[in-house]
Parts: sequence; C-alpha cells; structure tokens
Amino acid sequence: MDENLPNHFNVIVVGTGVVESIVAAACSRIGKEVLHIDCSDHYGGLWASYNFDGLQKFIKEVKTEPNKHSQVYNMEEKWYINKDPPQEEPKEESEDGKAEPAKKVWSQADFTTEYRKFNIDMTSKLLFSRGPLVELLISSNIARYAEFRCVTRVLTWLNDKLMPVPCSRADVFATEAVSIVEKRMLMKMLTSIVGYNDEEMNNEFKDWNDKTFKEYLTHKGLTPNLIHYVLFAIAGGTERMPCMEGVRECKKFLMSLGRYGNTPFLWPMYGSGEIPQCFCRLCAVFGGWYCLNQPIDSVETKTDDDGKSVVVVGSKLKTLKCDHLVIGIDECPKDFISSEPVETCDISKAIFITNGTMMASEKEPLTLFRFPPLNDEQTCVTVLEVGPATGSCPKGLFVVYFVTNKVKDAQSDLMPYAEKIFDMSGGDQTETSDKPKCLWSLFYNVKDTSAAVTSGTDCVHVCAGPDAALDYDRAVHQAEEIYKKICPGQVFLPRAPNPEEIVFEDGATPGPEFQREDEDAEGDKE
Amino acid sequence: MHGRVKVRTSEEEKARKEKERQEKLKHFKYAMAKIFTKRKNAEQDQEQLDLTGKVLTSNPDIYTLWNIRREVLTVLSKTSDSEENVSKLYDSELSLTEYCLKINPKSYCSWHQREWVLTTRSNPDWKKELALCDTYLKLDERNFHTWDYRRFVVSQCKPPLQEEFDFTTEKIYDNFSNYSAWHYRSKMLLELYPDLKGGRPIQDNHHKHELKMVQSAAFTDPDDTSAWFYQRWLLGAVKATVQVVAFIVTPRKTTIAWNKCVSFDYVNNNINVYFNNNITSGKWISCNGHEHDDLWILEHNEEIGNDIDIKIEHRQIDEEKEIINCKQYAPCVYVGKNKINFQNQYSEPVVQELTEQLKACRQLLVLEPDNKWTLLTTTVFLHCINAKLYHKEVVENLQILKDLDSFRAGYYNDLITKWNIEQQLPSDYQDDSLHYKNGFKEKLTSLPHLQYYSYCKTVDLSNQDLTSMTLPFLVKLQHCKELDLSGNKLTTLKGFPNLELEILNLQDNSNLSSEDIELFKQKHKTIKVIF
Repeated sequence: MDENLPNHFNVIVVGTGVVESIVAAACSRIGKEVLHIDCSDHYGGLWASYNFDGLQKFIKEVKTEPNKHSQVYNMEEKWYINKDPPQEEPKEESEDGKAEPAKKVWSQADFTTEYRKFNIDMTSKLLFSRGPLVELLISSNIARYAEFRCVTRVLTWLNDKLMPVPCSRADVFATEAVSIVEKRMLMKMLTSIVGYNDEEMNNEFKDWNDKTFKEYLTHKGLTPNLIHYVLFAIAGGTERMPCMEGVRECKKFLMSLGRYGNTPFLWPMYGSGEIPQCFCRLCAVFGGWYCLNQPIDSVETKTDDDGKSVVVVGSKLKTLKCDHLVIGIDECPKDFISSEPVETCDISKAIFITNGTMMASEKEPLTLFRFPPLNDEQTCVTVLEVGPATGSCPKGLFVVYFVTNKVKDAQSDLMPYAEKIFDMSGGDQTETSDKPKCLWSLFYNVKDTSAAVTSGTDCVHVCAGPDAALDYDRAVHQAEEIYKKICPGQVFLPRAPNPEEIVFEDGATPGPEFQREDEDAEGDKE
Repeated sequence: MHGRVKVRTSEEEKARKEKERQEKLKHFKYAMAKIFTKRKNAEQDQEQLDLTGKVLTSNPDIYTLWNIRREVLTVLSKTSDSEENVSKLYDSELSLTEYCLKINPKSYCSWHQREWVLTTRSNPDWKKELALCDTYLKLDERNFHTWDYRRFVVSQCKPPLQEEFDFTTEKIYDNFSNYSAWHYRSKMLLELYPDLKGGRPIQDNHHKHELKMVQSAAFTDPDDTSAWFYQRWLLGAVKATVQVVAFIVTPRKTTIAWNKCVSFDYVNNNINVYFNNNITSGKWISCNGHEHDDLWILEHNEEIGNDIDIKIEHRQIDEEKEIINCKQYAPCVYVGKNKINFQNQYSEPVVQELTEQLKACRQLLVLEPDNKWTLLTTTVFLHCINAKLYHKEVVENLQILKDLDSFRAGYYNDLITKWNIEQQLPSDYQDDSLHYKNGFKEKLTSLPHLQYYSYCKTVDLSNQDLTSMTLPFLVKLQHCKELDLSGNKLTTLKGFPNLELEILNLQDNSNLSSEDIELFKQKHKTIKVIF
C-alpha cells in the first residue's frame, strides 16, 4: 500500500461489488475522502466479468480455496468438445469457390487462444430502460463511462417450443401468432395497466388482493396464449403469482418500453462487470483512492477521545481509521453480520457457451427468455443469451446465462431446461440441427445475501451480494439507503460535470482531453 | 490536493455562454455584411461560396444564402475550365447540404438545394441519393421531407417499384404511425398491382392483404390515426365510373347532373344531346362557375314545346355509350333519369375479407361495447358490405357514436344525412314526382348529393337541422320553384345562391333577423318570401 496513503478517511469501502461501488462514488462525489479497496486483483467481486483465462483462475480458486469465495459452491465445469482442433486439413474450396464455408469446429484450444474475446459475467443482469439504475446513470452523468445494447427480443416457451413474445406495439402489430381480437385485448390490457392512476388502480384491483394474477388475466377474458405471454414472459411469474405483484411487474416492464429499443431492456457492453467499474471511475475522478489486491485483517469499532465512533481497519501494511466502513458481505467479519435468521433462497446458476443462437434470427439477437417452471417446486428460469456484438465472446459463439431459485442444486435445477434448448450431446459440431450445440458449461450455486443485512453498529454498513432478480433495482436501492445513513440530508449522486464545465485552477495544466477509458478497464481486469 | 475537480458555477457558465453568443453574433454580422457587399459588386467567386457556406453550416435555413450560392454556382460552372472541376464544385455543394441536413434534417432549403444540384449537373448519381434517403429514414422514419425527396429521386432514377413497396413494408413494421409510409405505399400499390381485367384499382389478393395488414395496425393501436386513414383509403379504392344521373329540359333551362364533378372538356367532348334525333349544339356552363362541377347548364337555341323526343348520349372512358331517354313529366318539362346505385362494388374475395373482419369487429364489440373505433369500423364495414341491408343498424350505430364521441357528433350527423339520402335516392328515381322531401326521421344536417334532385320543382327542406353554412349548396336546385326552409337553424341568408324561385318559406328560423329578410327581399324581388 502506498506510503503516501493517509491514515484516516471519511469512508473506507471494502469490496467492489455494485452496492459498494455506488456508495463509494456517491460519497466521493460530494467531497468525502474515500478509500476503496478489494482483496482480489480485479473489480466487481461476485459482480465481475472474466475473460476465459480469468474465469478458469476463478474456477480453480473456488475449488482450491473455498474460504476465499464462501458464497459460491457446487461448481461444476464441463467441456463438450475436444482439447485440440481437428487434425485434418480444412476442406478445399469447391471448384466454383462459392460453397459455404464449413461450420467451424471449436476446440478447447480455440477458447484458450481467444480467451481475451470473452467477457463472462458471474452475475448477469439487465437494466430496465426506465429502471432506477438507468435513471441514476443518467442523472449522475455516469452513463458517459458505459455503453449499452438493447435486448432485441423476449422469448417464451409455449407448446413445447420457443416463441417470440409480442411485447412492444411494433411486435403486436407484426405478429401472426395472435388474432386481431387477441391483439386488441392484449394491447388494451397492457395500456390500461400502464395508464391506471392510483385511484383507478385501487378501484380496479380492490377485490384482487388475495387472488392470483392468472385469475385476474382470465377474468379479463384473455385467451390462454395471451395469458401465457403476460404471466410468464412479461411479468416473469408463475401460476401462483399474486395479482398485485403481477400488475407491478407488468407495469415495470411496460413503463420501460419504447425508450431505447424494441424491448424494455439494456445490456451493458463487455458484460455486467462494467457496471461497478463505472461508479469506481467516478469515485476516482473525484479523488477516491483505489487499492486492489488488498485483503483486510481486522475490523474494530472504537470511540475516540471526543466520543466519536471510529472504525479501525487492519491490513498487512497499515492500520487505517475511518468514520464509516462500507463492506461487502463476503469480506465482512462474521461478528458484524446480524445473526438473526433470514428466510432466504440460494441461487442456482449456469453458464453455457454454444455455437449458435437458440432461435435463428436475421440480425444477431440479444435475448431475454423467461422459461416457465417445468415443475411446481420451481420458479421461472431467467435465460439471457448474448453474442459477439456485446463483446461477450468471439464470433460464432453465444454465451447463455441461466438463473433461478435453488431447489436442489444448480445442475439438477437447470439441466432439464438446458436440454430443451441445447444439444448437450457433445456430438459433431458441423451437423446441422435445430438446436445449438453446447460446447462448455458451468453450473454453480450462490448464497443469497441480498436480504438486507445489518451490522449492529451505526458506522459499519454491510452490502448485500447479487440477488436472483433480473435487474439491479435492489442493489441501487440498498446503496442509496447506506449513503443516506452516511451522509444524511445530502443529494445522492448529483450530476457530475462534463469536462468542459471543469475549471483548472491557476498554474494547473489541464490533462489530456477526457476520453472513454475502455482500454484502462481492460487493463484493470488483467 | 491536486486533481480535485472545481466545477464552474451556473453564473460563470452563463457568462461564458453569453460571451460565446456575442462572439458568434459578431462573426455572423460581419460575414453577412461581406456577403451582401460582394453580391452587390457581382463578385461571384469561390470566396463568396466559402463565406455563405460557413454561415450556412451553423444556420442552414437562411434561404437567401442558398439563392446566392445558386447564382454563383451557375456562373462558376459556365466559366470553369474543365468538366472535372464543375463536377467537384457540385460534389462539394452536395456535401454542404448533407452537412446542413445533419444539423437540421427538416431544412426545406437544404433539401431543395440538393434537388437543384442534382437536376442541374450533368452527371447526377441517383443511387447515392437513394442510399442517402435510406440513411435519413433510418434516423427518423417519419421525416416527411425525406419521404418527399425520396419520391423525387425515385421519379428520376426509376428503381424497381417492388423494392420501394417492400421498403414501405419494412418501415411500417418498424413503426406504423407513419403517414408518409402509408401514403407512399398507396401510390406504389396502384402502380404495381392494378386490376386491369376487373377494372378495379387494386388486385383482389393485394387488396385483401392490405386490408388485413391495416386492420392489424388499427387494432394494435386504435388511437393512432394513420392506420385508420389508410383503411378508409383502401375501402374507397373501388371501381368508380363517371355517370350522368339526371338530364332536365325546360323552356327556361337545360341541365345535366353527374355523380361526380367533371371538367368542362369532359362534358363538351363526351356528351351529345339529341332533340328528335338531331344533335343539338350549345355551350356548357358550370353551375358553380368553376372548372369542375357536378351540374352543368346547356345554353342552346332549341324551341321547347311538347312531345319532343329528347335523349342524351354519354361516351364513357371505356368507349361504352350510355344513353338516357327523357320523359315528359309536365307540360314542356322533360326529365331523363339514370339507374343509380351507391353501393361500393368490391370483388368477391374482398367482400369475403371484409365480412371476416366484420366478424372480428363484432366479437370485439361484445368485449368492449363502448370502444369508439371498434364501433365506427363495424359501422363502416356494414355500410361497405351492404349499405341497404344494414342501413338500420348503421344509423343506430352512428347515433350511439354521437354520444361516445361527442366531439365528432356533427360528423356522424352528416354521415347519417348522406347515407339516408343515398337510401332514398334510388326509389325517388323510380317514380315521376317532381317533389323532394326527406323521407327519414333523422333531420338533415347538410345537403350532399343535391345535384341528384336538380330536376325537382318543389323541394321541402322544412323542419331539418340546416344551418346557414349549407345555403350555397342550394345552387343545385336549378329547376326549383318552391323551396321550403322553414323550421331550420338559419342565422343569416348570406351565401344564398341565385335561384329562379317563386316561393321561399323561411318561417321558424328563430335566429334569422327581419333585417336580413328585408335585405334578401330587396335583392330577390321576384321571390315571394314567407316569413
């Protein structure tokens, strides 16, 4: 750790997950002195994105040092392809030279060679176009550090096959899967849910508090197809979803439509690991200190001579003091975590790398697919498929993320779903089939730490890890709550100035023109 | 501490912006002054192009500067030493307009300048222009300037129309709230798929397909009017022939009434009038004094007595002849009436499609009886499929619509009036009466199709809902002697046409002042006004 590093900070943030990073940025933004440290050599913690090499290291670490990643367990990696590329010479081009190039046969060696082209998320989430994270990125002007792509389609599983869900106006117009009458019913249903004001909402739903959303949709005269679309694909629910929750989820989905693309969702370029880094960058611009690779040894709270509480953080090189400690749950000493039992449900996750999209489309798709539960015990499985255009993988491949609530373990929870849409046989890759071939898979469980955790003292704030939800809403909300405790009455992330609005004090030479720092971000990860 | 960010306060920022603005204004004023001096001195040179170009890049809508540039370019292209240099000159002009369009994609002058360059230069690259339209429509699919420009480009380079048609399909699927795309589509449809054999504007299968497509748009978002307009256009795309509907000969006046407005040339070239089998010559005068009219007056020198054999011959566009024989209705009054029919004539497959869509509408109505668009579309379909059979239901629906959509109650009243008259006309044309009276209980609110009743001697428009706005339409009653307008909503007599009336009843128009009546009486001394 730097010799020049001060001994005392207003706020020390330990861990670079989304919640921690937002709090760090918010404190730094209003002039607090912030030190942000992480025990590992990269940003993001469980929210990170890895290239293929980094991912291999992470998998190895989970296996060899289970204590370091205590939140992750049941990790199973599997290859479905050969170690080395096929020996035979590539087939000669046919005489007219117009024959289609043979489909690439991927080997494990190809993954190793192209490892840098992968950005694989440990926590894959989408942003609602009008959700709290997008609004925060815009209002704080942090959006300048990030780049997004629109999700191009929403799919569902209907009559044992994948079906696109008509969710926007253009989709409803274009689809031939529903009749005119159904179109009208669907649009009416969707627009009325968006349009209800509080009073109308109360009137419409006064008798529905103890009923399911499905009952409501049926009552409204929607046909089974439409009910399927609204309940499973738009609200992301199950047969048991309570009515009001369904309405809320629908509203959230619909309110975000039409802002950026044909669906209500955005996906961060180069993976979800970019999100915490954006906030870290702002924190640094406003003077925050950064130390990676810096494990902490101890945390103590003391009262100083003036009667003020101080947190003392012990690390290898230095003992640091601060007024507030913000700490990710996975780095937090047990005695600061409330021992009260919270009802939680761990998360089952899987990542697949395939040689094609799950459903052919004209342009490279970016897909959200909500798989309705195949049995009564489970909740829906959220599937995200991202391709090369998002910077997630090399050309010709797709990365597919599965997330659901844990019932047994990740593999038994998710394999039945994967088998429906992928060819998991590991057979000949050149063979044409209606399902993409799975080339590699990773199953793992993550503890659910998203339930609000209290630390027991006013000056230590524990941040939750990722939850199973589709969006970042809970993380943003928690960060704001923590910030309000540290800086009561202060604005949460006011708009950061553009470079041209910044004045340099006399004598100070302005640095090079402000630029996006993608290169730096890449460097940080390695 | 270094690297700390100090942000300009809003006051500082304001002052800086104001300073910048003043600076900009100074430059602008200086440049404009210089440009006008140079123009005065007829200095049409590269420097003038540079100066105007610079100002235009920040203010693309100063059309005077574009005008000056055209002057300069015209001169420079004539005096230039090589073809290549002229080409370069025009190329850079195109780049300038492109730059300006980036600043304001709806700049009339920039689009116009581009059009001028391409039609002026000898080697225009139309393909590139079409690609430019694609780009701009990708950025804003509803920019009507671009659509307009695209039509211009297409008229010049004539790409396959099918491609243009498919282009509209693509744009409509992106976002169907697009009047320009629907409009362009309608033009392409008529060009690409006319039903030559059946004499209809659009081939069956395409007509059906379009009806399906627009129905889907309309029911996806009923509040978007673009789809409804296209649907109405499609419903109106039926075989339409020009027809003579009535021919009247009296000693004082001879008139011919048409089902739609025709031009002087048309009447003059396509109508022959025979008195006792001899062609009569004369001069046609339109009743409203305009170039096009649906009622024409023939000035001739024939003596009109009794028992004359009068007929007219109408040569139609497809060279078929329509002959109408006149019958003597009264002493020296001859009237010839044609067979008339207001039913839209669709092909059988289109009627089937409409019937199916009607079924869907009826289903929807059960689910949402108060939806204006569903009810209106149902009503329009009923009228289009079989106006006579469904007349009662149509009128009932329109009555409901008056309440549902009260802002447009007047429109629905006018539709009731029009469709009632269309129901009454065929039977009135069967008998020999010279009298007209509204046979429906719904009061008339307007006077459509009045040329059909131009033969009537007595017209009873009493106790209707006519306002003074309808008075000019009475000009069609060229043979009327007695007109009853009592019990209406007249407020003034302004706009009352010149008619050869003997009696005019104006009683019970409570808002009509006696001064108005007096003035009218003075002007029309021969009319006996009852008030």
